[in-house]
Amino acid sequence: MTSEPVLLARVGRDRSQAIDTYLADGGYGALKKVLTGGWTPEAVTEEVKKSGLRGRGGAGFPTGVKWGFVPKDTKGKPVYLLCNADESEPGTFKDRLLMEEDPHQMLEGQILSAYALKCRTSYIYIRGEFFHGARVLQRAIDEAYEKGFLGENILGSRFSHDITVHRGAGAYICGEETGLIESLEGKRGQPRIKPPFPAVVGVFGAPTIVNNVETLCCVTHVVNRGADWFAKIGRNEKNTGPKLYCLSGHVNRPGVYEAPMGLQMKELLFGEDYGRGMKDGRKVKAVIPGGASAAMLTAKEIEDCPLDFDGLAAKKSMLGSAAIIVMNEDTCIVDAATNLAKFFSHESCGQCTPCREGTPWLHRVLSRIEGGDGRAEDVELLEKISNQMANGMTICVFSDAAIAPVLSSIEKFRDEYRYHVENKRCLVGPRAEAIPVTA
Amino acid sequence: MSTPAPPPAAEKKTLTIVFDGKPIEVPPGINLIEAAKLAGIEIPHFCFHPRLSVVGQCRMCLVEIEGIPKIQAACTTPIKDGLAVKTTTEKVRQSRAANMEFLLINHPLDCPICDQAGECKLQDNAFGYGEQRSRYDERKRQYAGYDRTMIGPHVVADMTRCIQCTRCIRFCEEIAGTGELTFLDRGGRTLVWTHDGKPLANDWSACAADVCPVGALTTKEFRFRRRVWELKKTPSVCPGCNIGCNISIENRDSVVYRFLPRLNPAVNDYWLCDYGRFLSESLNARDVSKATVRHASEVRDAVVPAAVERIASEIRSTIETEGPSAIFFLGSAHLSNEENFLLRKIADHVGCGNRDVVVDRSRVRRMKSKTEWIEGDHAGANYAGARDMGLSPGPGAHGLADVLEGKWTPQVVVAADASFAAAADDPEKVGRLRSARFLAVAARTENALTRAADVVLPAASLAQKEGSFTNVQGRVQWFQRAFLAPPPARAHWDLLLLLGVALGWGDRTWTPADIRGRIREEVEGYDEVTEEELAGGGLMRKGLFVSTGAV
Repeated sequence: MTSEPVLLARVGRDRSQAIDTYLADGGYGALKKVLTGGWTPEAVTEEVKKSGLRGRGGAGFPTGVKWGFVPKDTKGKPVYLLCNADESEPGTFKDRLLMEEDPHQMLEGQILSAYALKCRTSYIYIRGEFFHGARVLQRAIDEAYEKGFLGENILGSRFSHDITVHRGAGAYICGEETGLIESLEGKRGQPRIKPPFPAVVGVFGAPTIVNNVETLCCVTHVVNRGADWFAKIGRNEKNTGPKLYCLSGHVNRPGVYEAPMGLQMKELLFGEDYGRGMKDGRKVKAVIPGGASAAMLTAKEIEDCPLDFDGLAAKKSMLGSAAIIVMNEDTCIVDAATNLAKFFSHESCGQCTPCREGTPWLHRVLSRIEGGDGRAEDVELLEKISNQMANGMTICVFSDAAIAPVLSSIEKFRDEYRYHVENKRCLVGPRAEAIPVTA
Repeated sequence: MSTPAPPPAAEKKTLTIVFDGKPIEVPPGINLIEAAKLAGIEIPHFCFHPRLSVVGQCRMCLVEIEGIPKIQAACTTPIKDGLAVKTTTEKVRQSRAANMEFLLINHPLDCPICDQAGECKLQDNAFGYGEQRSRYDERKRQYAGYDRTMIGPHVVADMTRCIQCTRCIRFCEEIAGTGELTFLDRGGRTLVWTHDGKPLANDWSACAADVCPVGALTTKEFRFRRRVWELKKTPSVCPGCNIGCNISIENRDSVVYRFLPRLNPAVNDYWLCDYGRFLSESLNARDVSKATVRHASEVRDAVVPAAVERIASEIRSTIETEGPSAIFFLGSAHLSNEENFLLRKIADHVGCGNRDVVVDRSRVRRMKSKTEWIEGDHAGANYAGARDMGLSPGPGAHGLADVLEGKWTPQVVVAADASFAAAADDPEKVGRLRSARFLAVAARTENALTRAADVVLPAASLAQKEGSFTNVQGRVQWFQRAFLAPPPARAHWDLLLLLGVALGWGDRTWTPADIRGRIREEVEGYDEVTEEELAGGGLMRKGLFVSTGAV
């Protein structure tokens, strides 16, 4: 299923961040085509709709449809476009690569999207820790202003646009779009009640569209090479385009890989062009397919598992941010779940009761089981706590995400939990007696 | 302002909401919690407050709505016609129980030593909607350094009890407009504190403790003084200034323990300023517990009727020798309409036009009603009412200014309330009043005026009597008696009636209600001031309301 790289085509080349190399590779061609070729904003939206592009941030919502939610009459308010560059889902590192290595690809997509949305000012909300990325982006923005791709009357057209980079302050929840909006407004990063949705009332009270970095990069190529070309890439018409996969864990060659949407999980893990198999020849025990918030899959479940939105939804998990975390047979699943629970407990914003109180509780009970102090009723307790945190109990879906690794690991590895409780130690891994501890 | 045209029938539309199968008409613009209340259904909640923005954070008000698969927060659900709400399903019951469990796992459950006990929403909702036991037996969260700490002049914070509902934060932000409080940290470590340790010191800071549904914010003044269920609540009006905020006096036996704001959307809404609130303690002061009469240089105790008779005889003899214009009647903005009316009537009865009322201009105090800010600028609650009752100098007669400036010296001064103004404690001004041959006052606490007086009558406090005040808006409001004055102290109106009867006017059997009946008949603008109207949050006196000018 390999094909020519699209999103990563320029990554790794000499001075790939510079505007002159981008222009030499035909960069800003899509923008020229739109602004000087008589494309209307509606035509851009239509093209994106036709491409079947679905948001790459995690939810997989069709991008063109989302743009269509901006009210026709904005009552005199501006429309804002926010680039969600707050990549913080554990195991995800694709946006960082795109921003640091090929910032103009993203900027072009952002300017095109802004044109489609009739948006005068857009923001890039970048994760605070991505200091280098923020610098690269700022340099690229400065270059784009110099060359007239940003600012007043871009390429002599009547379209003007400005982009501002805003650095986050280190909160996972600011990747949630309304949390991001609050944070951008200078408030505490905590999600808003919906409705109203951001497309109607977003940042500064104005209609707002939030798109992921990779999504915006895709827009560049959709416009440049056409919706039909884009839609042909991928497993089926609902899962189109090139996709970046973040492979990490116990594989020989972790990294960011590009493949057409719907790459087989086995191919990603074992293919010569991708992961090249499990490290030290160990067996796969579990795979998290879409970042920490996605339900775990077992070795059996990754057989015939296309890595796209619908393929993983069919397995009651999700593609999410396409962060594939591979765990081998020596991984203690309770340890892994505890680790993830700790992350969610640390990152809950604290506004809703079930999440604020539930996430630390889950972590404590898991720690107790992992530490050998588990009780017979603890596994059931974990399930009960989890079930009373999700499905509308909270404002945002953070707590739904937080319980996914807990519930899926219990469901799929219940025996291992039971072993912990009964034997006061791990079944496998460094805290299991079955494995000799090497110096 | 032009009279708005009556709205067309179509605009008066109400919405139909179906609660548990029972349809009810509700006005638009309210949320499901309020709508349910109209239907007689309680939806438990913590973070929702009718005057604060809706944040949907506590998640206690979850209900099921027909056609929506997920459970919904009642406070944030947009209300629309035909909404079918279910509040009694198993799913709702479980969600409430789940939230109660979450809220209690880190709560210290120190109700036995918590001042909020008895008026704690956490207690009430745990009792009403929680399970009997918790499955949590880990170490509870502690906020070392953030417990039992003063965060302002009045408010004590104890974050271990906090349930992070943000009502206090929103109060400071949205009502006080000062924004001292904020969330710090996040997740399970979230706490409410002041920005950079700056104090919570706005003029209404104790309201943050009022809106706190738990014992996380309490006031220094009330802390550990009484269990709230031992307190009796009596509707009253704050004596602090002429805004006349509605309060509830809370007492046990004959001790006032606190004032709490009493809802009146037209005046103080849910709020009360710190200045007014903490006047409560001043009601417990009593220096004057007996009537006293000066004989030559000796001050002797007397029974009240005898002391009153002494005043009456001085008045009578003065009328005989010098005529009624040698007498001066001084009312007070701290006295009720009824009392000031009696004083006016006594003055009329003896044919004296020298009457006045005075009160200090105070710092301008502000209070947010439901719709607007109201400003009060007089230290007495009833400045407007005293003027309405006619306590201004009659034509060609003298007022207090003449006395204090030394332009006129009355022979007899009857000051119905010794604490009428700061002037009552100013030796120079008291000296002017004292230059009268005879000086009589009613008083509860001692000051320069009582020490100078020839007759001092022991009078009741605000908590010990009934009456009405007219506020800066012209709104007549009722305060009721919480408990009796310790004998022989009597309400001012009672003392004044004694005096009136001694002088041949009035009836000893009159009550404040009877006096109000006469006010209705005789005072312009007060003809509808009935008990029914007063009980419903007060009523605006009629006629062009003349603002209370400076004196």
